[in-house]
Amino acid sequence: MANVKLKQLKKVYGKDVIAIKGADVSIKDKEFVVLVGPSGCGKSTLLRMIAGLEEISEGELFIDEEKVNDLSPKDRDIAMVFQNYALYPHMTVFDNMAFGLKLRKHKKEDIKRRVEEAAEILGLSEYLQRKPKEMSGGQRQRVAIGRALVRQPKVFLFDEPLSNLDAKLRVQMRIEIKRLHKQLEATMIYVTHDQIEAMTMGDKIVVLKDGYVQQVDSPMNLFNNPANKFVAGFIGSPAMNFLEGRIEKSNELEFVSGLVRFGIPEKLGLHEKLKPYIGKSLIFGFRPEYLYDKEKENSKELSVDMDIILDVTEPVGSESFNYFHFEGQEDKTFCFRSDSVYQYQGNEKIKVGLDINRLRFFDKKTEIRIA
Amino acid sequence: MKLSSKQKQQARTAYLFIAFPLVIFGVFTFFPILFAFFISFFDWNLLIHDKPFVGLANYFELFQDRVFLISIKNTIVYTIGVVPIQTLLALVLAFIMNQKLKGRAFFRLAFYLPAVTSSVVTSIIFVWIYSKPGLLNYLLSLIGIEGTDWLTNPGTALFAIMALNIWTTSGYFMISFLAGLQSIPQSLYEAAKIDGANAWQQFWKITVPMVRPVTYFVIVLGLIGCFQVFDQIYVMSAGGPVNSTTTMSYFTYNNSFKFFRLGYGAASAIILAFIIFGATWLQKKYLPSEAY
Amino acid sequence: MKELKIQRILFYGLLLLMTIIYMGPFLFSLSISFNAEQDVFSWPIKLIPEKWTLANYQRVWQDLPFGQWLFNSVAITLIQTLTNVFFASLAGFAFARLEFPGKNIIFSVLLASLMIPGIILLVPKFIILNEFHMINTYAGLTLPGLVTVVNIFLMKQFFETIPKDLEEAALIDGCSYFRIFWQIFLPVSKPALAAVAIYTFQGSWNEFMWPVIVTTTREMFTLPVGMAFLKNEFSVQWPLLMAGTILISLPTLAIFLIFQKYFVQGVASAGLKE
Repeated sequence: MANVKLKQLKKVYGKDVIAIKGADVSIKDKEFVVLVGPSGCGKSTLLRMIAGLEEISEGELFIDEEKVNDLSPKDRDIAMVFQNYALYPHMTVFDNMAFGLKLRKHKKEDIKRRVEEAAEILGLSEYLQRKPKEMSGGQRQRVAIGRALVRQPKVFLFDEPLSNLDAKLRVQMRIEIKRLHKQLEATMIYVTHDQIEAMTMGDKIVVLKDGYVQQVDSPMNLFNNPANKFVAGFIGSPAMNFLEGRIEKSNELEFVSGLVRFGIPEKLGLHEKLKPYIGKSLIFGFRPEYLYDKEKENSKELSVDMDIILDVTEPVGSESFNYFHFEGQEDKTFCFRSDSVYQYQGNEKIKVGLDINRLRFFDKKTEIRIA
Repeated sequence: MKLSSKQKQQARTAYLFIAFPLVIFGVFTFFPILFAFFISFFDWNLLIHDKPFVGLANYFELFQDRVFLISIKNTIVYTIGVVPIQTLLALVLAFIMNQKLKGRAFFRLAFYLPAVTSSVVTSIIFVWIYSKPGLLNYLLSLIGIEGTDWLTNPGTALFAIMALNIWTTSGYFMISFLAGLQSIPQSLYEAAKIDGANAWQQFWKITVPMVRPVTYFVIVLGLIGCFQVFDQIYVMSAGGPVNSTTTMSYFTYNNSFKFFRLGYGAASAIILAFIIFGATWLQKKYLPSEAY
Repeated sequence: MKELKIQRILFYGLLLLMTIIYMGPFLFSLSISFNAEQDVFSWPIKLIPEKWTLANYQRVWQDLPFGQWLFNSVAITLIQTLTNVFFASLAGFAFARLEFPGKNIIFSVLLASLMIPGIILLVPKFIILNEFHMINTYAGLTLPGLVTVVNIFLMKQFFETIPKDLEEAALIDGCSYFRIFWQIFLPVSKPALAAVAIYTFQGSWNEFMWPVIVTTTREMFTLPVGMAFLKNEFSVQWPLLMAGTILISLPTLAIFLIFQKYFVQGVASAGLKE
């Protein structure tokens, strides 16, 4: 098993299309790392560079302290699970899994033992003589994983392996891959566009956008302490609300946006960081999870009240997503989450409060988090 | 652009993979194109060792050669007669085959059979059909017409061969059209039916415009094939009677490989090639291939 | 609804007429080939022989060098079919899946060569082969058709439809490019390979102009050249001639019947190249 180091990796297509603009990531042995970002962010490119399927334009890639930039995929001791499974349609399940071992001249008994072991782990033992087209999507995905498993590679690479499965199967496979990771104690790098998949699976998450690594952190840190507005908005569902406004100083510091106005208590320790923004625009971010109906839940430590106009409410079972706007700002919609026992009707005026420990501020221009 | 070692290796593999075909095409296609022009400037005779440079003399001689001029006329008549009819017939056949029909596989085989059969075989069969006491005249006699000896009559020989050509190739192009027809969404016909179009209007207003790319392709192939017609002429009439079926490619063959005047033959082939280029250029200009 | 019925009758009437026109000549030549009487030109024509015989087919084998011509045709056709399938798919793979400098230019030049009328190449090809002393040899008959641009094009088109994933999975599994071609791409490309094989077989088997030019003695003739030669020499012996034509049509007919769907696929994909 192995660690993987990316040092200033760059990918340039043609003359000036830059897909990856310098990625620094260090992946420890036995770690489960998720690369996540919207489509076109470069996450797949980065994974394929690690696999050796894409040339590395600049920078260095190490697997176990060995520089592998110029090694071909087969010499990097990695295995990959593809989005569309990429099973050889003319081979049986057994042959699909055995192919890589045969090419590496493993002994027949050894191949047989390994394939059967992997099949056992993945529940494929009965299907070894079938062809891929005789199997369901979930089973094919297991075969694809099995093909990686038998190789016992240093690093497992997953390229959006669950995106072709239906929602229920996806959750099931998610748990299974996580279980496999524990069982094998292997280094795994996993690409997805689904932030929930990223949050639930990763020990460490790499958030990418436009070819830049935005943040590398643990799931909870990403959620609580996003490095910038993009990460804040990307991680979490429903997404964080953003409200543009400015900081004003009266007795204490205040955030003002149209008719919305609230004080920022000194004890939060934000004043130092916010002082440079007095009189200037910035972006205030607050998660739907940290807004509370003042009348119904008053036990929390909340900031000053805000009057909102609730437009629509979406009950999703145990909770409801309530969409609202501030008076005088009809064109901007925000969201807050409530327990579904509070039954709102929509089109009503209510008073909400915000958990004062959860105020987040971002620079308007750089979008970097200020506090 | 600098290539990494992996890219270099891939390129080496690729060149290895295409090397053999490139050698074959080099020797038997690309070099001969240039060589053909070269030869056409010489009095190149296979039987005579001396091959003097004659400049454009071969070309001048061609345009004073009555047989060559006749062959141009015959080739053009042949092409203009065959291409439109075979194209239309192929489209009609395809339209029929695209209907709900019992025994479609059988009919497809029936129409395609002449196309997969050797041209020599179909030519021989038609020599018999066209002969004085042949099948065609027998059928004509049933309706009281006395036929001629179609292939030895200078007035009919070329047209008889043209008919054979239409018979063989229409089935071949039917398959091309059939593929084109099957890609037309059924909803278009349904919309037309609701608008009140009958079968005939559907054919002209929907089918014909929608298969235009295929039509273009069929006409190009038809043109190229007809301009170079050879097999049927060789087997059925050998250019006769009195040169009435001498086409340009048969003229080239005769001069090159019967009289061994290779320079002269090469020059005639080059003129034919330019006529073909001209025809396909005209077609591209006036009958473009764009789909809707 | 009466109008519809008339339409249907007309439609089937037309279909029947067409079928007779397209199949009739073959049936009549089949009929003649079984005719025991040598003089088939007795007027009026008999569509069905009065006396049936297989003697014409026997005579084709005994009196003519049919066996030799058959051997020549089979040998040339088999060689050209095999080389086309192998080299066209190999080159098609390179053009579809490998990156190399000059790829687009080379491919465009190949495609452009499709526009060159074959007639222009006859004389120079003949002179080149004459220089190599290959006139009237198997080499001369076979070499120019070992691989064709159309087949490379067909294979390239097909290979481009194979998911890129498959190739990458194989690369990671440790395949060389040749092994990817041989063990992954070829096995999943059977329909395209079949189309190429069938078309090449068809073309080689029926090829006439080139063998006519390049053969000078009877024992080097292919079947079509032989039959054309016979037509001029034995033009009175129609039953014999017809028996020969039926025999040389059988392989293509058999192949067509067995592989019908590939035929249609091949023409369909060839039609897309414009």
